[in-house]
Amino acid sequence: MLDRTNRRRPTRAATRYLWSILLVAAAVVVLAACGGSSSSSSAASGGSSSGGTSSSGGSSSSLPGKGKPALTLGTKNFTEELIIGELYKQYLQHEGYTINYKPNIGSTEIVDKALTSGQIDAYPEYLGESFSTVFTNHKVVKSAQDEYNTVKKEYAKRGQSMSDFTPFEDTDTVAVLKSYAQAHDLHSIGDLKKVGTFTYGAQPPTLTRFEGVVGLKKLYGLTKLQFKPLAVGLQYQALDAHNVDTADAFSTDPQLLSGKYVVLSDPKHLFGFQNVALVINTKKLKQLGGATFLKLIDKVNALLTQHSMIALNKAVAIDKQTPSAVASAFLKANGLT
Amino acid sequence: MSIGLPIAAAAPVIPKFGHASECVVANHQFCGSWFVDNFSSRFLPPLLVHIELTAIAVGVGLPISFAAALLARHYHWFETGFSLFAAFLYTWPALAFFVIMVQITGINRFTAEIALVSYTLLILFRNILTGLQGVPPDAVEAARAMGYTQRQTLLRVELPLALPPIVAGIRIATVTIISVATVAAYIGAGGLGSLIFDAIGTGFKTEFIGAGGLAVLLALAADGLLVGLQRAMTPWARRSIAR
Amino acid sequence: MHALIQFFGDNAHLLLSKTGEHMELSLASIGVAMALSIPLGVWLGHLHRGSFVAINVSNIGRALPSLAVISLGIAFLGIGFTNTMVALVILAGPVMLTNAYVAVSEVDADAVQAARAMGMHPWQVLLRVELPLATPLLFAGIRTGTVYVIATATLATFAGGGGLGDIIANEASYGVAGVVAASITIAALAFAVDGLLALLQRLITPSPLRHRADSTRTAASVTDLSLGAS
Repeated sequence: MLDRTNRRRPTRAATRYLWSILLVAAAVVVLAACGGSSSSSSAASGGSSSGGTSSSGGSSSSLPGKGKPALTLGTKNFTEELIIGELYKQYLQHEGYTINYKPNIGSTEIVDKALTSGQIDAYPEYLGESFSTVFTNHKVVKSAQDEYNTVKKEYAKRGQSMSDFTPFEDTDTVAVLKSYAQAHDLHSIGDLKKVGTFTYGAQPPTLTRFEGVVGLKKLYGLTKLQFKPLAVGLQYQALDAHNVDTADAFSTDPQLLSGKYVVLSDPKHLFGFQNVALVINTKKLKQLGGATFLKLIDKVNALLTQHSMIALNKAVAIDKQTPSAVASAFLKANGLT
Repeated sequence: MSIGLPIAAAAPVIPKFGHASECVVANHQFCGSWFVDNFSSRFLPPLLVHIELTAIAVGVGLPISFAAALLARHYHWFETGFSLFAAFLYTWPALAFFVIMVQITGINRFTAEIALVSYTLLILFRNILTGLQGVPPDAVEAARAMGYTQRQTLLRVELPLALPPIVAGIRIATVTIISVATVAAYIGAGGLGSLIFDAIGTGFKTEFIGAGGLAVLLALAADGLLVGLQRAMTPWARRSIAR
Repeated sequence: MHALIQFFGDNAHLLLSKTGEHMELSLASIGVAMALSIPLGVWLGHLHRGSFVAINVSNIGRALPSLAVISLGIAFLGIGFTNTMVALVILAGPVMLTNAYVAVSEVDADAVQAARAMGMHPWQVLLRVELPLATPLLFAGIRTGTVYVIATATLATFAGGGGLGDIIANEASYGVAGVVAASITIAALAFAVDGLLALLQRLITPSPLRHRADSTRTAASVTDLSLGAS
């Protein structure tokens, strides 16, 4: 039958035609992807539309950022980092820098990998996280300055530099419902040994971290701890619903102001000192102006006291403002923009 | 307090950030007025990104599937291989596909698009192939007898007759991509999924309902539109064909 | 590859417990979905009533974005097992219902008529004629729904529902080896359960009907069916 014979022996032309369609389509993929990835991920944090080109303010023509290459700034995936990221981004843009903003990347491990693989140039990091998770030191430190000095040296070995660190610190804490604390007479983390078996809810990476489940078991002897993975942010709901007995809360979480929860003290400093500093690849830092650039970051950092950071967190987490709007208002009120 | 930076002479100014309504602060089930006020700034942009992601995935997947289906008609090994890959991909969790791809091409929209196009391919390829294979041989013979070239036969006879399953495939693909694209937000693709992950981080019920509801409405609207398109394009194929 | 095998070896306990959670959630969802959809679909098909709804509900079910349904679930039901189960039931139920409906309503009309002519009571017609003949398509719907649930239960991790998704969403701790291991486990579970159902289908189908062409209908071909039905 005509039809079958034709099917079995396509002409050369037909085959070439077909392969060229495939090639064209593949080319379209690449083009679409390039177009797609340039209108990048700033929409990821829900509505902030400043997609990352130059400044809005600055009257003087000698803005420190003019003519410098773009900086790819990343952040981790929770509110406080998003706020700090926006603060850096907006202030730097005001000073003439071009910022490729990549918020919401993931946990410490993932963002650090993005940094070392060059996908981002810089991101704000907590001293304790650097010390314990990035560089896997399991010693206990005596002060934030000690921790900073150690970490700075380690980063330098890897080719990264740091800004100075913020006045505020945001440590992981173990939080429980007030009723639970009263029922078991809990004041510090070590008191949990009395309870026997209990559940601890935290984001998944906590399971394998020393500043997490590993340390809680080793340092505080809480061997009967049962880990329940929770996506970041679900911990308060989980506590309220009695899905977990204890949860990993951040010390600057505005939810802690409500009085419903009790934070257990950490006398052994398992969770270290968690002030924030910008970690940046040294090569990129040099291109951006070295010390001049870092001074700008430090200007922002100086404003972040415990009090102001909690207020910023509250505006986003409780009053549902966007990190972008909150950062903008804060910078304006303090004369930076 | 630590020694890192000299404490500023005056404490930093904390502006009034604006308080949300009692509904929002107390996280009631759904805060309608907040949703309406913030729709265009918070919900609309991700919605548009979501539509864009879907459109690109289907738009790119369609020609590739088509070319692949045409090839599969001539080379049977192609079809078997492709079908195996398709069956495999259906049981492989989409989330894992994204996470693994990130290792190869990084955390960005391009990675998400590759994955989304793959899903489109496996749906459309099968439907296009089935459609083309379902064309009555008599029709093709008649066309050849009338002197049509292979290309003309394809364009004027086979394609129109194969349209019902093809359009149905586009419909299934679109709806599937809208669903998978919400998960793609996990690796930074943007879209309505990013709002859902945001909501997971804050527990904000209105955002859960707003983002989830919008995604559902988008999917149903797309489905409905494409059903209409399907019916309009193939009036002769109202009755079921594949049994 | 070596890292993958090593992961299975080092983390057998973890994988086992996560698989347990995953299957608990999946099986509960499948069970509830079947309990709700199958009787309803069969009954409607038997009566030849409600065809518009019964056929189109699966289109809606297929269209629902899974993460969005979970998101709505979190808003109304909070996080945890229940919310995720409800979401999975909503996602998988429709396809089972539609298939049950079509399976029973499309049974050869002559066979049904013959049975009635023999004086069979409607219940007997259903149990002795319609259901056995409807088995292939009925099972196709169950199998499609089951595979879908097992694969989608991965997303339970975002709603505090546990399961193998916990590993997949946590590449930071478990590495790519972990993600691949968990995914292979899920795929294997899906294939295994599908295989068991196929076996069950063979056992239930009366022997004269076992070699009919459409008894080999796979889950994928149900898509064809719903294409035609729309």
